[in-house]
Amino acid sequence: MGRSLEPDLTKVEIAPAHVAVTGLSKRFGASTVLDSIDLAVAPGALVTLLGPSGCGKTTLLRLIAGLATPDQGKVSIAGVDVTRTPPHKRNVGVVFQNYALFPHLSVAGNVGFGLKGRGLPRDAIAAKVARALDLVQMGPFRDRPVTALSGGQQQRVALARALAVEPKVLLFDEALSALDRNLRETMQVELRRLLKNLGVTAVFVTHDQDEALTMSDRIAVMNAGRIEQYADPQFVYARPVTLFTMRFVGICSELRGEVDDRSEGRVRVDTAIGPIVAVGEHQIGAKVVVATRPEHVAIGPAGSAPSVGEVNAVEGRIRQIIFHGSRARIAVDLGDEADFRVEVGGASRIPVVGEAVRLTWPAARSFAYPDPGPLP
Amino acid sequence: MTMAPQTLAKAGEAAIPRRERRAALTLALPALIVLVFLYALPLARLLSLSFLGDAGFSLEAYGRILGDAYGRSLVWNSLRLGLITTAITLVVGYPAAFGLAMSKGALRSLFLASLFLPLAASVIAKAFAWTILLRSHGAVNDALLLLHITDKPIRMIFTQTSLIVGAANIFLPFMVLPIYAVVAQIDPRLTEAAATLGAPPVSAFLRVVVPLSLPGVVAGVALVFSLSVSAYVVPTLLMGENYQTLASAIAKAFLLVRDPALGSAAGAILIAIGLVVVVASNRLGRASGGR
Repeated sequence: MGRSLEPDLTKVEIAPAHVAVTGLSKRFGASTVLDSIDLAVAPGALVTLLGPSGCGKTTLLRLIAGLATPDQGKVSIAGVDVTRTPPHKRNVGVVFQNYALFPHLSVAGNVGFGLKGRGLPRDAIAAKVARALDLVQMGPFRDRPVTALSGGQQQRVALARALAVEPKVLLFDEALSALDRNLRETMQVELRRLLKNLGVTAVFVTHDQDEALTMSDRIAVMNAGRIEQYADPQFVYARPVTLFTMRFVGICSELRGEVDDRSEGRVRVDTAIGPIVAVGEHQIGAKVVVATRPEHVAIGPAGSAPSVGEVNAVEGRIRQIIFHGSRARIAVDLGDEADFRVEVGGASRIPVVGEAVRLTWPAARSFAYPDPGPLP
Repeated sequence: MTMAPQTLAKAGEAAIPRRERRAALTLALPALIVLVFLYALPLARLLSLSFLGDAGFSLEAYGRILGDAYGRSLVWNSLRLGLITTAITLVVGYPAAFGLAMSKGALRSLFLASLFLPLAASVIAKAFAWTILLRSHGAVNDALLLLHITDKPIRMIFTQTSLIVGAANIFLPFMVLPIYAVVAQIDPRLTEAAATLGAPPVSAFLRVVVPLSLPGVVAGVALVFSLSVSAYVVPTLLMGENYQTLASAIAKAFLLVRDPALGSAAGAILIAIGLVVVVASNRLGRASGGR
């Protein structure tokens, strides 16, 4: 990784495996950490379990690795039920948070750990260790103690150690979160390319939505022990099926109200600042939250025509502008309880604070969800 | 001009260690004074006494110990007590340290208290407690008689078994505590990482946990060995005249026969044994990659 040297893939024999989890539940005492989870990971796919801390994502990863046993349900890898198989017989590689490298061993000692346990001859181990270290471009460091490495280097060694045993599945537990921002972004891209080149099935656990969007073929958004949505990154971002996903993956602007009319796939919501049309199937009278992504909202001069059909329009006053260079985040006071967030490209005309504006956005880009009540 | 910031930085770098060194010295000063006046000086006097013969410098006192079968038995008895006590406390204490590290809450407090509280009791009290337990009409024999396991008291006190049992008991905390301190720091995810790499539990323990626990083992061995090799109260109370060690020879030389050269030489030999153990265990600790 790092320098874009293409690894020699001909010598790595990883057969991508299908991972399936069915009806998996786990309780710790009185609290249910995982509640009947179903998840299928296609061979060679990169899947991210995304959610806030305590949502059960790490527990799910540990159950796949065999580091914990479920109360109910089944884990199968490559078509074999491994629910009761101990971790050392599963051939599942894990890259741990903070890496969990063996501090008493050198880089080569760490990478060769799994091979040595398999009774391979010394030179075969050395060759496989060299190959794994080359994959992550850590070849020159083979005799260093791991305690003398930087965080990014330790991360690579941890990856090489997991790859060296040619696992059926690779699991990453917040494996990038200890790196600083720039390095993390580079590693996301490099790691995805390497894993795609190797064709290995991988499951990541992260609370970082950018990491999930960048690295995954599919994202499983988790909340309170359940999977809220399992889809490809674009779909999860563009069409969140729950308000939790809407809020957790990216940011959104929200309005509250009551459904007062409905027609094929659309609801009209009576809000404090007027009627808003959104995608939804709710009954008339239902209390809902209408949410939309800030970048779908356009800013125009105040006093123009009211909303018609598929376009929502509201009026407000600019309260705050946060300029990020390539884009600007604008908070608009609509007279509602919270500010309405709008995002515009940095090159477009940015209004000034206090200016009266008219916001418009398509009904097809706003989504109505059952109102969960005020945030705790 | 472009050099100026670098030069400044270098001057700053040099200034900080010098200031730190002065602070370190100041902080260590009281302990240094105590060590020099109350320990190093008397020690130097002891060493010089051991080389004092009838006509100035002489190795005669050392010859009397090392050149004589009885003298060599003193050295051997001391070494033997140290080695056996260390071995037993290691075998008993190593798993105990893991039990302590794995326990939580009230159980851990109970374990720690049972290790620390005996340290507060004097060695003499503990050794006497063992004599009360082990004597012919002591608690252990009474219990055995009551249960009809034996029909007459077994001789336990003043045997080597009583010595070893007592010494192992008294010195056990000094083995458990350093191992516990190291083992408690071992990241449990290392064992998990070993498992995901295909290592069965026993292999993961031997290849990861044992090597990482070695610094604690080395510290525990050095502590228990140097304490038990020079123990005086324990062998005297639990074995009496039957088991003469360098420590008891020192006491006799100074208190009974008034032969300071002999006592000093015995002390010097004990110190030499202690030094060898400390240096060797430091080497071992470094070789085992102690963090």
